[in-house]
Amino acid sequence: MNEHDSVWEMLALAAAGALEPKEQSRVDRHARECDLCRKGLEKWAAYSQSLRKLPQPVAPEGMAQRTQALILQHHAEAADRRKHEWFLAALAIFGWGSGWASWMLVRAIVGGSLYLFGVNLLNGLTWSVMSMAVAGITAATGALMLGGRREMRRFL
Amino acid sequence: MILAAAMSLKEFTSDREIALLKKRDPDAISDLIGRYQQRLYRFLVRMVQDPATAEDLFQQTWIRLLEKIGSYDARRNFDAWLFAIARNLSIDHLRRRRGVSLDDEDDSGLAMADRLSASEPDALEQLLDFERGAMLAAAIADLPPIHREVLTLRFEEDMKLEQIAEVAAIPLSTVKSRLHRALEALRQRIEGVL
Repeated sequence: MNEHDSVWEMLALAAAGALEPKEQSRVDRHARECDLCRKGLEKWAAYSQSLRKLPQPVAPEGMAQRTQALILQHHAEAADRRKHEWFLAALAIFGWGSGWASWMLVRAIVGGSLYLFGVNLLNGLTWSVMSMAVAGITAATGALMLGGRREMRRFL
Repeated sequence: MILAAAMSLKEFTSDREIALLKKRDPDAISDLIGRYQQRLYRFLVRMVQDPATAEDLFQQTWIRLLEKIGSYDARRNFDAWLFAIARNLSIDHLRRRRGVSLDDEDDSGLAMADRLSASEPDALEQLLDFERGAMLAAAIADLPPIHREVLTLRFEEDMKLEQIAEVAAIPLSTVKSRLHRALEALRQRIEGVL
């Protein structure tokens, strides 16, 4: 590729200001001597200028306010979610703890055993399964209630 | 000296704004949205070609920005970071809508000299006679998104090539070749119309 062809390939980028200084001066130097490249460069420069003056889309009225309102809503929902997560975790821990506390209490009252259908409810394993189930049911009920409230609020 | 002081003040303000954004300060958020409103909306309209979708993506951009602001590296250019978020959202939207890859560049394979000969009529002068701006905008709308992106970032946002590379997450050499192809494709469309 000779110098003319090589410069010709660079005219669009030269007009867009996208060449390295060294390449730009090479284009400028050649365009001073070559009519064809000078005209080509002028043409691309005109394109570039037109591209900077396109009809502008105007942002819809109130878009910024709507965006801020959405951000606030998003932020409030995220805070709500975090709060609910903590609440449910606390509820599960409370359910588990109170299960063990009542185990100790019942043991102290009735002695070491409390049979129901032939199963000793005060057996450590039986009681822990029962208290975990109660804690799980408590947390799940809480989650359903919170979820229902959120849905209701969204609906309203 | 004055210029240097002004620049450092500007940077200080930016850093302060970023710190306020990290604290979700409503006034800082409001200021920033107001300041970037026109530019960001214009970029999104050019990308998705639909004002309602552009507004939706504008809102999503700010929500995403606030989600990610904690990991923002202050050494990065804020404009490029913001536009990269908007760009990724609009590309995701276009991918979902069309179900095709938008990264494929068209390449006619013709040499520039073959397509731009001196014997052609001066298309620009004719454009001046035929509502140049509107036609040019319509021609841009007809280009693939990756070409629209590079043109609007270079000519409307006046971004340096390095910034465009940061926004589009591509190497500098790819930005150059993409810009070259975008300009060529645009010229072909304009001259094809006339």
